[in-house]
Amino acid sequence: MTQFVQTLILGLLIGGVYALLASGLTLIFGVMRVINIAHGSFLILAAFLTYSIWTAIDLDPLLTILLTTPVMFAFGWLLYLVAVRRIRGAHMSSSVLLTFAIALVLEGVMGLVWGNTSHSVRPQYFNESFTIGDVFLPKAQVYGFAVAAIVLGSLYLILTRTWLGRAIRASAVNPQGAALVGVSVSGVAALTFAVGVAAAGAGGSIVSVLYPFLPGSHYQWIARLLSIVVLGGLGSIQGATIGALILGVAEAATVTYISPSWATAVPYVVIFVVLLVRPQGLMGSRLREDVAPA
Amino acid sequence: MGLRSTRWSVIAIVSALALTVGACGGDDDDGGSAAQDGENAAPLKIGASLPLTGEFSEPGKAAQQGYEVWAAMVNEAGGLLGRQVELVIKDDASNQNTVVSDYNALISGDKVDLLLGTFSSLLNLPASAVAERNKMIYIEPAGGNPDIFNRGFKTIFFAQQATADHQGDVWANWIVELPEDQRPKTAAYPTLDDPFTTPTSEGIEAILKEGGIETVYRETYTADTTNFDSIANAVKSKDPDLVVAGTQFEDGIGFMRALQKVKFTPDWLYQTNAPSFGDQYAEGIGVENTEGVFYAVSHSQEASTPGNEEFVAKYQEMFGEETVPEDAADAFAAGEVLQATVEANKTVERADQLKLADWLRENEVETILGPLSWDETGAPQGEYLIGQWQSGTPEIVLPEEAATTDSIVMGYKPGGGN
Repeated sequence: MTQFVQTLILGLLIGGVYALLASGLTLIFGVMRVINIAHGSFLILAAFLTYSIWTAIDLDPLLTILLTTPVMFAFGWLLYLVAVRRIRGAHMSSSVLLTFAIALVLEGVMGLVWGNTSHSVRPQYFNESFTIGDVFLPKAQVYGFAVAAIVLGSLYLILTRTWLGRAIRASAVNPQGAALVGVSVSGVAALTFAVGVAAAGAGGSIVSVLYPFLPGSHYQWIARLLSIVVLGGLGSIQGATIGALILGVAEAATVTYISPSWATAVPYVVIFVVLLVRPQGLMGSRLREDVAPA
Repeated sequence: MGLRSTRWSVIAIVSALALTVGACGGDDDDGGSAAQDGENAAPLKIGASLPLTGEFSEPGKAAQQGYEVWAAMVNEAGGLLGRQVELVIKDDASNQNTVVSDYNALISGDKVDLLLGTFSSLLNLPASAVAERNKMIYIEPAGGNPDIFNRGFKTIFFAQQATADHQGDVWANWIVELPEDQRPKTAAYPTLDDPFTTPTSEGIEAILKEGGIETVYRETYTADTTNFDSIANAVKSKDPDLVVAGTQFEDGIGFMRALQKVKFTPDWLYQTNAPSFGDQYAEGIGVENTEGVFYAVSHSQEASTPGNEEFVAKYQEMFGEETVPEDAADAFAAGEVLQATVEANKTVERADQLKLADWLRENEVETILGPLSWDETGAPQGEYLIGQWQSGTPEIVLPEEAATTDSIVMGYKPGGGN
């Protein structure tokens, strides 16, 4: 029983972090129909920024989120203006190619700046755990989960309680209708992309504490994050959150009860099952293209 | 809209392809910059593809440094057969397909005179087949998977002391010979699915099992595993006395950190590869958590082997780092082996390269790792050194004649030890 509770807790804790990492990806897709393959590289970039700040001024890596998030927001905005804006309206496959190219360029730049070697951020609590009875809760995961919950909660409030959030949601649901009522859809797209990258920034700071990373680590993340977004429903932040928690628990349970060698297959199995059973994902809605006759 | 999207698709595809090609095949031939310093003879081009980016970038970079030190020292001493050595090094991005393309390009495009191997069994398995097809001698600085040597190849040689399945022999035999009250009873073997780590871990398990140490956990995880907490927790649930972690670098750090998080300290801990990365290992898991970790290693900075002192000094001069990574030393040794057979046979002609291989099968070569010799298959016939982290410093503890310290820390004692 202890083993089961332990597995569940480990899965939920890491699932919460996954949710934050995937939120920007699904937000960007929801509004812009851009499949952002570069999302993993944004995470790693934020992890490197966290590393630099941590080594330079010894600021707690989770507090660096206050710095990495605005920096990544600005970076996202700039990237939108320079590159992503140009594929607005183009087919979705163009966004895959463009963002893959961005990921490769970023990987190269990170290699030049920080070197192609493994980096680790080790605050004093990186290897410590809280203990409740026989169950342990790694402190880094608990703090990461808490920060993820705060950032996701803020994102949710922005989307549901502010004019900007309503404009973002309106642009996602019906861009033409949003434009008719005075929403600058292109401006909203720029903001959304920047917010999505900023969310990756916050996630990257957490990742830097949890795992060692190097410029090529983004490949490990993007497949997992895409599967979370597909499971939750493309474009749905609530869906991504539920999908992330399910995936986190599924991975932990696979490691414990089946074999670690099957754990990395879990995201792909998830995609396979979702496509077979519920192509729009848990919380997604069917797009017009989905019901068009073949 | 259709036309516009098509246009952008084409631009995007071309851009991405260009970037991919650039990222995967980027030449980096700076190692040969010293080649044109007045020698009349054309430089001797020696090609290698290394994982400078991606999963194996850590050892790949170290191997590149080792090759560069070797080339610099050879050139300073007048070159190889009177010709300056020019390294042509490509980045295979830790990818098996790219490494094959790279070695094909080195042979047919760059027209290199000689080849040197890449890092890890995973990449040397396909890369060595390219060399064999072209009948070019292929000295690999890493790549000890025993399957590499049962393919009947004539051109491959491994420039370390033994194949992976024998890497932990010295340590495993030492463990089973411990007094009854100190000897562990149970062992766990979490292992990366990798052609180097798996046979190493299995080789150790065979000896320990024979010695009566029961296996309570053996599981394999894939290379893209990032979260080790659940694996560490599963190991903890079996409560083994001894853990043999079959790891490369990234996963090795992740696993050790996870062990600390789940608050599990086995009595004994042996880990492949990662602990040999010196400061980077200590930085990754915290130097206080390294105490007592055992590992096999091919090179010691303090060894009195021929040329070792000069190699260490040159490495420190060129790269400004005190600690020499093991993979840099292995790459240097691969260069020494190639140099020995070329100088003995006085040829680098493509048609003569099988002769270079025949010579290695019949002769022993003195290297900074000690004397190396090979059987018919190119598999080396020696024994590894066993290292142990002691008070934040990697020491050689076995075999006794090569030890850099008199004492062995009896067990794994993270957090400063008790």
